[in-house]
Amino acid sequence: MTKMPYTPTRRQLLAMIGQVAGAGAMYQAMTSLGFAAESGYTAEPGLQGPRQGRRVLILGAGIAGMAAAYEMRRAGYEVKILEYQNRHGGRCLTMRGGDRYTEMGGHEITCDFEGDGFFNPGPWRLPVHHRAVFDYCRKLGVPLQPFIIKNNRAFLHSSRAFGGKPQRIGHVEKDMRGHVAELLAKSLHQGGLDEAVSIEDRERLLEGLRDWGVLDRRDRYRASDDVGGVRGWDIHPGGGLMAEKSPSQPIDLSPLLQSGLWDQLFNFNSYTFEAPMFEPVGGMDAITDAFAREVSEVIQFNARVTRIAQGDGGVTVTYADGDQGGMVREEAADWCICTIPLSVLVQLDVDCSDEMRQAIGAVPYASAFKVALEFRRRFWEQDDWIMGGVSYTDLPLVQIAYPNYGFMSDGPAVLQAAYDTATGGRNFTYSWSTMTPQERIDAALAFGRQIHPQYDAEFMSGTSWVWHRVDWSLGCYGQWTDDLRDAHYKTLCEIDNRLVLAGEHCSHIPAWLEGSLLSALDAIKRLDQRENA
Amino acid sequence: MFRNILWAGLALTLLATNVTSQEARFSAEPQRSDAATETLLQRFSEHPDHFTQTDGAALYQTTCQACHMEDGEGGAGAGAHPPLARNPKLNSRHFLAGVILTGYHGMPHFGTMMSDEQVAAVTNYVRSHFGNDYPDPITPGEVAHLRPPDDH
Repeated sequence: MTKMPYTPTRRQLLAMIGQVAGAGAMYQAMTSLGFAAESGYTAEPGLQGPRQGRRVLILGAGIAGMAAAYEMRRAGYEVKILEYQNRHGGRCLTMRGGDRYTEMGGHEITCDFEGDGFFNPGPWRLPVHHRAVFDYCRKLGVPLQPFIIKNNRAFLHSSRAFGGKPQRIGHVEKDMRGHVAELLAKSLHQGGLDEAVSIEDRERLLEGLRDWGVLDRRDRYRASDDVGGVRGWDIHPGGGLMAEKSPSQPIDLSPLLQSGLWDQLFNFNSYTFEAPMFEPVGGMDAITDAFAREVSEVIQFNARVTRIAQGDGGVTVTYADGDQGGMVREEAADWCICTIPLSVLVQLDVDCSDEMRQAIGAVPYASAFKVALEFRRRFWEQDDWIMGGVSYTDLPLVQIAYPNYGFMSDGPAVLQAAYDTATGGRNFTYSWSTMTPQERIDAALAFGRQIHPQYDAEFMSGTSWVWHRVDWSLGCYGQWTDDLRDAHYKTLCEIDNRLVLAGEHCSHIPAWLEGSLLSALDAIKRLDQRENA
Repeated sequence: MFRNILWAGLALTLLATNVTSQEARFSAEPQRSDAATETLLQRFSEHPDHFTQTDGAALYQTTCQACHMEDGEGGAGAGAHPPLARNPKLNSRHFLAGVILTGYHGMPHFGTMMSDEQVAAVTNYVRSHFGNDYPDPITPGEVAHLRPPDDH
């Protein structure tokens, strides 16, 4: 590849941004460069259907497999799904009190929540531009509720700044805005931007900065009643003869810059995490349960696929039938839609082109983990007035997400107390993944009490999930890079004789339900076209 | 680092000028993390961008152990994490170091988060534990030669 001077590749550009502005800015830039592009969904696939009886075998009863089954059956195809687990839903799942899961290595994850709180180990929030997910929620009757992605009362925390005392998101954001407005105004006054901004625009810009940054008459960002009305009060305006209101004090620019909290603010900046976001009422599995209501009679559970054989006339899949003591059985069909994660598929005996085999083996699966903790009371609401949303920290727990339901109710409630994926570029998720379920809870408590000291008095029980210790996914999601996509993505998605792959790994929206759905819809559309060619 | 931060954080919370009544209430009797928890927290690197552990065992316990487990036996089900115990592929020190550097199938790469010395240390740890007893340790210099050209 020829490199022109001063035109860095996307990867070089990202590396530069990462060095200058930190990982948060790099991730933001990744989003800008299309790593998390707008969903291409327009409407349901509109399949023609087969001209004669056609059988489609679908491997995996996650959202991609079930959506493919749902649409192909409606179009007149005969469909069967083979699923390894004894449950549908794949990586879209919800844990509630009483649930148990034995992970690889033999440790049992227990969930002993006593209240109605729940924990989504996989997908847990829906961007509004993920139109396919929303459209299926509408069609299949899945009630949604707002997911508070950004709560100005939630915290940004650095163990190295402000004595470890968490700061409010709104304070960091508004103080940065005020300081930047003051600096820009100063520069305009000193003629520093005369070449960039015309005289007329300069005046408009100054007027705007005064409102935007709440600057005083000398164009400074200082505590005042006006600033209090924007960033809040030390003494709130009251009633009757209550104490006179007093505005809160902005944080100075230098400590704010040095704290790194500005970087954490970028977590809320990307299009993917734009407010409002949504979630299904009662847990993310409401979405996959809704699909299962439509297709459950064609799902065979406890079927461990070992071989996918292809001939010109069709496909034959060999599987161990767990309901029959592991008896080896075969299932023949005209087409096979395989949604098995690549990390597992690469270990199976699959007839396909050499190029596709290379593609299947080329994509690493990202590390991701979560810990959820149940507490006796909603201290984050009662003490800190954090009603939903997400706090971020530089501690290895990375983020704490507050429930967006049951506000101000008495009794136990569940926090998503630690979560990270490899996409953020941090190595913490690998270390969490090495821990036993009990160790993860211990670590989440040890870190979390630095942000919420109430942890110790209020803790009841915890649960967790480590995607690399799940034998049916061996990791969380396909961790694509530009180079890998250039080399393998198209091949991976193409129909190989009688076989086509689908799932989040066959999408430009990896790890998201929308990516799985779009991949499935696109795959069945192409199969249907091939069938009718 | 996090061990120190734990204590520094508690001390500073008490000293901070606008401690709220809640924070004061709970900080008055800090729940001391026991020795086991402190050891556990050392599992985390001191830097999110690269691993700061240098010892082969410590590096194994904060990365490889996630999939290959405490005893190197890996795990199996629908798919498998291969065992490192009695695995004949470890016969080649270059193979193992190369897999750590660049990943293999679904396994992510660690080359950008570990130095040549760290990759050598964890390679040599795996090849001398879990029943493995290979006599030929890899050197950091050899690891450097295995790195893909665009690493670092």
